[in-house]
Amino acid sequence: MRLPDLMATGWAEIWAHKMRSFLSFFAIAIGIATFFYTLSVLSQSYRRIGRTAEVAGKGRVETRTNHPLTVVQYKDLKERLPAGSSLAFTSDDYNVQEGWWNSLYHKGNQLVGATVYGILPSFKESDFVYRLEGRFINWQDVENKHRVIVLTVFPREVKKSKRRFWWDDVDEHIQKVKEYSEHHHLLHQQVVLNNQTFTVVGILHLPTENEDVRLSRNREWRPTLYIPYTTWYDLYPDENDKRPVDIRVVTGKESTAHTAGGTLTSYLRSQFGPNEKPEIEFFHEKIEERLKEARKSLNNMLFMGIIAMIAGGIGIMNVTMAVIFSRTKEIGIRRALGASRKDILFQFVVEAMLLGLCGAIAGMILGYLAVLHLAEDTSQMTFSWWVVAGSILIALVTSFLFALYPAWQAAKLKPVEALKNE
Amino acid sequence: MVIAQCKQLIKIYPGAHDFRALDEVSLSIQQGEFVSIMGPSGCGKSTLLNILGLLDEPTGGEYLLNNVPTAKLNDARRTELRRNQIGFIFQSFNLMPRLSVLENIALPMRYSDMPRADILPRARELAVRVGLEKKLYSTPLQLSGGQCQRVACARSLANNPSIILADEPTGNLDSKASADILDLLQELNKNGMTIIMVTHDPKIAAGTHRTIHMKDGKIL
Repeated sequence: MRLPDLMATGWAEIWAHKMRSFLSFFAIAIGIATFFYTLSVLSQSYRRIGRTAEVAGKGRVETRTNHPLTVVQYKDLKERLPAGSSLAFTSDDYNVQEGWWNSLYHKGNQLVGATVYGILPSFKESDFVYRLEGRFINWQDVENKHRVIVLTVFPREVKKSKRRFWWDDVDEHIQKVKEYSEHHHLLHQQVVLNNQTFTVVGILHLPTENEDVRLSRNREWRPTLYIPYTTWYDLYPDENDKRPVDIRVVTGKESTAHTAGGTLTSYLRSQFGPNEKPEIEFFHEKIEERLKEARKSLNNMLFMGIIAMIAGGIGIMNVTMAVIFSRTKEIGIRRALGASRKDILFQFVVEAMLLGLCGAIAGMILGYLAVLHLAEDTSQMTFSWWVVAGSILIALVTSFLFALYPAWQAAKLKPVEALKNE
Repeated sequence: MVIAQCKQLIKIYPGAHDFRALDEVSLSIQQGEFVSIMGPSGCGKSTLLNILGLLDEPTGGEYLLNNVPTAKLNDARRTELRRNQIGFIFQSFNLMPRLSVLENIALPMRYSDMPRADILPRARELAVRVGLEKKLYSTPLQLSGGQCQRVACARSLANNPSIILADEPTGNLDSKASADILDLLQELNKNGMTIIMVTHDPKIAAGTHRTIHMKDGKIL
């Protein structure tokens, strides 16, 4: 018998016993829903982590020291690093007003409720996810300690969290800042910071929360202000001279990351004495950690999916056995009319695989709904064909494997004995 | 020309007391013959028919179909012979309840190598031949017993067999329908078809060329 005829026969049987068919493919559907969800989330996680690594740059090393570094030291250190490396210093954060919950508000031109960082122009060379309006801080600003500000504003679209949790308050806060950003266009305006007048030279538009792929992104609860690195240390001097600095190196090659890490340690020791013990963080290790976490949580899901698929397979096997028992006479008739053992085997296998296909379709619908309503981050979730193809393949293979034994038993029946069955 | 030949056929059903269903049965059927087999229940008629139709294997002896010895054939080869050379008509019709008349007639062709496009036209032709041109899309449940047996007759002709085996084809029919089926079989026989029919009804047997009487697994 040809495949279209086998499929027509199988489909007629499934349709004739809708309830039984539904029950038998239900477990398959649950399994496929789990697979579909897992594969979708997994592929999304990988895509996101891939983009995170891309934005972060290859061979990225980070450390922190409690001694402020000068521009001279910057140049000195940069020369020692592997050729082509990018080096950036970022000052400690300074909160203009204590407490993140305070809205940024505009009192005259006084900026209150913001976090201020001192940065170098090389800040732009890695993790730069913003859209820039105006200009960025340049070396002239740093060397001449210009009083210029680059201000971050929140994107127009702030996605509200679907669930009510404590951070909903934060979302409301962001909403206020967003309104502020829209209504008070500050580019080229004079603002007052710590009683000093600054000029806003650039505005950085943050990506939406879902588009933001920075690994160590802190949710910007309040607006972030960037000023030249040197200006920052003048603005917020510390009596003990102990304001920490974040150091970031991007070598461009993963292979040179450890060399750069070694250079950082030895340089900081040479500058601040043997007691300086910088903690060096290698970004690719963080990424691997992330991938490991993603895989671990998804392995658990996959395990559940496999259990559901086995249950589904047993369901299919059970129903195929029952079907064969109730249709023994039919098998005899078909054999008398010229059906070979192969024809009988294929008939039941194809019927079971059609059941599996129904389960796959139902499961994918369930899985898709799960993705829409359960997944935490659906921003880069795309409906990828390989996930659909994979889900169908898993369902077909499962039903094939579990139907094989009963179908083989059916094919083995002797025609004369099958015919006698009523 | 001999189309089916049995030499010393033995069929034993094993058990606590082995049951000898066929006891050295020898038989020759000529091409174009219409033969009826009669005998009491349990005399071995159906067993003989099943062996002739390659649905069952004898315990001993030899069966030649179109001069091909069948004893050592494997299942695939036996199936092929059954599909291409033998047509079955059963007492209880054995139609597929969910398939239409047309699809029931077409079923044996679905298992053959016939091109897919030729199957339904041929099924339609056969339905016309048995007088069911107006019932092509009815299902067996919508037909009378006589009509069902006509469908079975048409189905038995599907793959152009060289022999039709009918197991009490009129057993479930009233006398009028039985006479109609006999007429149909006689007509097929006139057109050259070899038919072997098991029956209990002497009137039906009288309509055949030759009647073989059986008792206790032996031909009398």
